[in-house]
Amino acid sequence: MSALSALGGLVRDVLQTAFRLAPWPTATGLRVVGSPGPDSPVLLTANYDFTVRHVIRALRGCDVWLVVAPAKGINVWCAAGAGHLTTHQVVTALKTSGVADRVNHRDVILPQLAATGVEGLQVFRRARWRVRFGPVRAADIPDYLATGGVKSDAMRRVEFGLRDRLEMAAVWAAPVSLLVGGLTWVFRPVWALPLALLATILAVAVFLVYDQLPGPRQLLLGAGGALASVAVVAVAGGGLPALAAALLAPFALVALLTFDYAGSTPTEGSGGFDGQDWKIRLDPERCEGVYSCFEVCPEAVYEKHEGSRRVELAHDERCVRCGACVVQCPKDALFFEDGQGGRIEPATIRQFKLNLAGKRTVAVPPPPEEQKSA
Amino acid sequence: MSSLALMRWLEATPERYDAGMRLVTFGRVDRLHEALAAAVPEGARVLEVGCGTGAVTRRLVARGAQVTALDQSPEMLEQARRRLADAPGAPPAWLEQTAAEIDTLPEAAFDAVVMSLCLSEMSRDERSYVLRTALDRLRPGGSLLAADEVIARRPDRRILHALLRGPQWLLGWLIAGSVSQPVPDLAAEVAAAGYGVRRETRWLAGSLALVQAERVS
Repeated sequence: MSALSALGGLVRDVLQTAFRLAPWPTATGLRVVGSPGPDSPVLLTANYDFTVRHVIRALRGCDVWLVVAPAKGINVWCAAGAGHLTTHQVVTALKTSGVADRVNHRDVILPQLAATGVEGLQVFRRARWRVRFGPVRAADIPDYLATGGVKSDAMRRVEFGLRDRLEMAAVWAAPVSLLVGGLTWVFRPVWALPLALLATILAVAVFLVYDQLPGPRQLLLGAGGALASVAVVAVAGGGLPALAAALLAPFALVALLTFDYAGSTPTEGSGGFDGQDWKIRLDPERCEGVYSCFEVCPEAVYEKHEGSRRVELAHDERCVRCGACVVQCPKDALFFEDGQGGRIEPATIRQFKLNLAGKRTVAVPPPPEEQKSA
Repeated sequence: MSSLALMRWLEATPERYDAGMRLVTFGRVDRLHEALAAAVPEGARVLEVGCGTGAVTRRLVARGAQVTALDQSPEMLEQARRRLADAPGAPPAWLEQTAAEIDTLPEAAFDAVVMSLCLSEMSRDERSYVLRTALDRLRPGGSLLAADEVIARRPDRRILHALLRGPQWLLGWLIAGSVSQPVPDLAAEVAAAGYGVRRETRWLAGSLALVQAERVS
């Protein structure tokens, strides 16, 4: 049975990595991990099957209550950014999962990346639960719990290491290879496999080297791919039409694979939003050194100044505009400034999340009169 | 962060939602909305849970109801507000809240509670909590009108529904950005929450149900 469930887990891991762009919902509600009691910690995450299984795996040996919140089966960061894991879903899960009857405290630990969508203060006001944002990665939760909630700098940072890059390569390679290979199969069956393979190789190349390349990055990578595939076709003796296709296909594939490269990485803000020219701004007059921005920033943009009880925007060039700091600041000391110097208020970010960044469903509300004249 | 393509589908939903619902219900959703509104007494104090883009709200207000309409999506509420901006009748009180938060509303303050196509978006735990909490918001004798996707009773209709379900699921996700699981037996869940079930009407080969129930005491 355990071998069977391990196999099932592996199959799900592979499928959910290859087709991560689709939602993978799992049941919401309370999960019991280990043998928790009334004093045991309460954790909360999104109902994304991959995440829930990996969190439970990471928590082996811990005794905790795990609340699975409805987030349309989308991963924590995307759901929080797109408005599917917000204060509402957290309040719903805390109220309806029955967790309040199982514990004698009201402290809930959320994944740090939920901070883009969930307002800690609102959860307390609406459901009387205190929110703390734990580590970014599930693997760090046991250490975080063992130290009584001490979060190291490393636990706060989002990385884009080799493993993450290969994962994202697989996420894009699977659907693109299937699409390209499938379409080619209909017209030229012989070319289907080589083209699918080319798509896979280029996907891996995109996520391994793309951000290291000098501009124009798409052209360089496409040219490299074209050179290699032309050589292969020439050696195989493919003829003129095959050579022409080998020359053009890599450019088309690279364009397809990189159209939202930035949005697929945690190190660059999505290129598809109108908000790509937004800059994070700090109003030092309002900052009182609560440090909630410091706690939730995945890119270590902030530095604490204990003496003056203020933060400093020390590395704003690293900001990916996730908005977590803006959403969490209880003093409204942080905001975005657009390319024309216009101010996007914290209230707007809190209400519309990244929807607003894309201006897809709502227009940016005009600033209040007094600010226009100021 | 995420794929732009996915984000676009997910976020562009409110405008598509109505068209999507119409498509996946083969146009029956309008008839359902009419039936819901017609079952509410004129001038009643109504709590509408999950008002979405305001399709039912508009019909309720037209019947002279005083509506408290809540939805957790600010975008949906924005659409609903726009839709009802020039509607005759008392403007509804709009609340950006989740269904579980109706526990903050006063008890016995409503003549009717309306839930249209929102219970199927909740888990069983959530439905149970929301139905029980809604019961306390009703005055004794007040009525619950719950409409949602359900599983047909007759086997042949279940098979028909299962065949339609695949394309429906895909259409629902692509166009409305929302995929729901049908409530297995809506009337039974309403009864289990403590209501007296008065009537159940079904459409779409038995897969769409309107349950009319009452707070008995």
